[in-house]
Amino acid sequence: MGSGRWSTDVYTAAEHYRAATGQSAFAYSDSGARTAHPDLDPRGVFMRECRDSDEHPESTPIVVMFDVTGSMRHVPRVLQARLPQLLGLLTRQGKVTDPQIMFGAIGDATCDRVPLQVGQFESDNRMDEDLSKIVLEGGGGGGRRESYELAMYFLARHVITDSMVERQRKGFLFLIGDEMPYEQVDPREVGTVIGDDLRQAIPTREILAELRRKFEVFFILPTAASYGGDRQILRTWRDLLGQNVLELDDLDDVCETIARQVTTDSVPKTPQLSLTTRRL
Amino acid sequence: MTEHVAVVDLGYGDAGKGTVVDALCGRGAVRAVLRFNGGAQAAHNVVTDDGRHHTFSQFGSGTLRGVPTHLTRFMIVDPLALAAEAAALGNPFDLLTVDGDALLATPWHRAANHLRERSDRHGSCGMGVGETVAYALSTPEAPRVADVRSPARLRRRLTMVRDAYGFRDIPLDDVVDAFTAFGRTVRIVDDRYTGRLLADGPCVFEGAQGVLLDEWRGWHPHTTWSTTTFDNVAELCPSFRRLGVVRTYTTRHGAGPFVTEDPGLDLPEAHNGHGEWQGAFRAGHFDAVAHRYAVEVCGGVDELAVTHLDAPLREPALRICTSYRETGRIVPGAHRDLEHQATLTALLHRATPAELHRPDDWAGAIGALLRVPVTLESYGPRAADKRFVPAGVHRPTQIRRAVYCPV
Repeated sequence: MGSGRWSTDVYTAAEHYRAATGQSAFAYSDSGARTAHPDLDPRGVFMRECRDSDEHPESTPIVVMFDVTGSMRHVPRVLQARLPQLLGLLTRQGKVTDPQIMFGAIGDATCDRVPLQVGQFESDNRMDEDLSKIVLEGGGGGGRRESYELAMYFLARHVITDSMVERQRKGFLFLIGDEMPYEQVDPREVGTVIGDDLRQAIPTREILAELRRKFEVFFILPTAASYGGDRQILRTWRDLLGQNVLELDDLDDVCETIARQVTTDSVPKTPQLSLTTRRL
Repeated sequence: MTEHVAVVDLGYGDAGKGTVVDALCGRGAVRAVLRFNGGAQAAHNVVTDDGRHHTFSQFGSGTLRGVPTHLTRFMIVDPLALAAEAAALGNPFDLLTVDGDALLATPWHRAANHLRERSDRHGSCGMGVGETVAYALSTPEAPRVADVRSPARLRRRLTMVRDAYGFRDIPLDDVVDAFTAFGRTVRIVDDRYTGRLLADGPCVFEGAQGVLLDEWRGWHPHTTWSTTTFDNVAELCPSFRRLGVVRTYTTRHGAGPFVTEDPGLDLPEAHNGHGEWQGAFRAGHFDAVAHRYAVEVCGGVDELAVTHLDAPLREPALRICTSYRETGRIVPGAHRDLEHQATLTALLHRATPAELHRPDDWAGAIGALLRVPVTLESYGPRAADKRFVPAGVHRPTQIRRAVYCPV
């Protein structure tokens, strides 16, 4: 039989807990939060903006959204530990002008409490704070699908970037996950999660086409996740995104993998688009 | 490792579950370590290859490798001891989830435990785990982990505990405060979470104490208020491998029968000592009779880990006891028949070892005596001191399986 090795003093315990709060990488999630942090809640958001400034005159929007459901296992936590290095890596390598990064998380709108979380575009370590506010779902839907299409909808309709408005340059979007999107954007889910009054469903392929006018879209499939290497999932994403589907063996390389795809030089200019998206 | 594994100590505890769990976690991707019995009284020592040592109590023994811990509903959670343990580990609360249905051990339970030990020595650890279980059996409104989320209910339930025991010198407000802080820090989940973990990937179930201390199968009344067999695991998980852990010699912390005890043996213990509430750490020859009984009442064991294989080299007087003068076999009674268990206790208090012999191949001899293949040999505290024997060196001639254990 073992024994009590650890002090059971009521005062030091309370102090320990107070000191420990906030130390966890996913402090908000680990504190038991079951709703999106107000800073990351997409509901009622008109636009997430990626703006040029005197300091950053040629901003490049980079969005990283990862699946936080249970099938991803330890992946979100590793990503959380690794992703803060992304900005430094991009800046050092200098292939992209004035990177501004936005983090977000994808769950399952059919059964999760927090199906979509989106931070802000930041060009300093405030983006790390967004990461720490992400709620890890741990659950997820059956049928090997998560609500990626809902995230695509938000990014297509609720993100505005000076990069596009001023220079007709696309930003970069990295979806990290291990499951497939649902086949269409569900108006009911859009209403609940984002607050838009969408009259009819949008096929996922269509919302993706809309999104790709603003972003170069990549899908990263970590092989460490449950469905890593799953042929059907891989085929589905290949069918949607072609060669922009990347398999990632070593999670520690996530920033390098993203950085390799991001270069302002190689981004083709796209025709002028109407960016007058309004909430309906 | 692709299956779930349940690690259970076949003796009186202290066989080395912690080091076995750590080795399993180091061997392959383990989704989580699940604790399924006992509480803060567990003391599982793990030494990393670079020499770091931690005595795991509520955190799982895979924590130093970054493997998450889940405390299932069978646990008795002690938020005060947990705070101290977490601090010693660098507060890895991101690796911890707790089932909201688990019972909470409070300072009043602990005080009652101490009072009882002073008047009638039982050999408990002084953490109030048994007291917490006893209280919950008599009171449906016993405080549970999920209560820390609703301060009003927590206060009401803690007040009930305080009033039931009448220890007025422990300030209620401070306990409410500490427990609420615990609630803000740890991630509390519902009972579906275990299923999710099990669906996600291979898990390791880490048992506490040992089968010979089981509340229903041990030497009553010198037992723990906890089910130490695979029974709780079977309630949480439909299919798993049963890994029994034994030492090359038998140890017992605290009071109760110990047939093969030999105070003359020179077996220094690095991490176990005299406990204030438990009493002395006792050691003796390997008791094959008692361990065979443990395998039987477990409904069979699929494989065996034998630890402390370096000890026989250091202590040439160490032997294996294969029968008692009074009997060669301890006969299991019906489940939950405490009268039968008390009879066994009386028998074992009288019993003395009949045959003692010293094998050349300790792992082989123990595997053959328990009729379980030895799949893990341990020669020291670190994972590097372990040797996995994939096929099992000693094939069993027969294993009796419990009805719920799929073949």
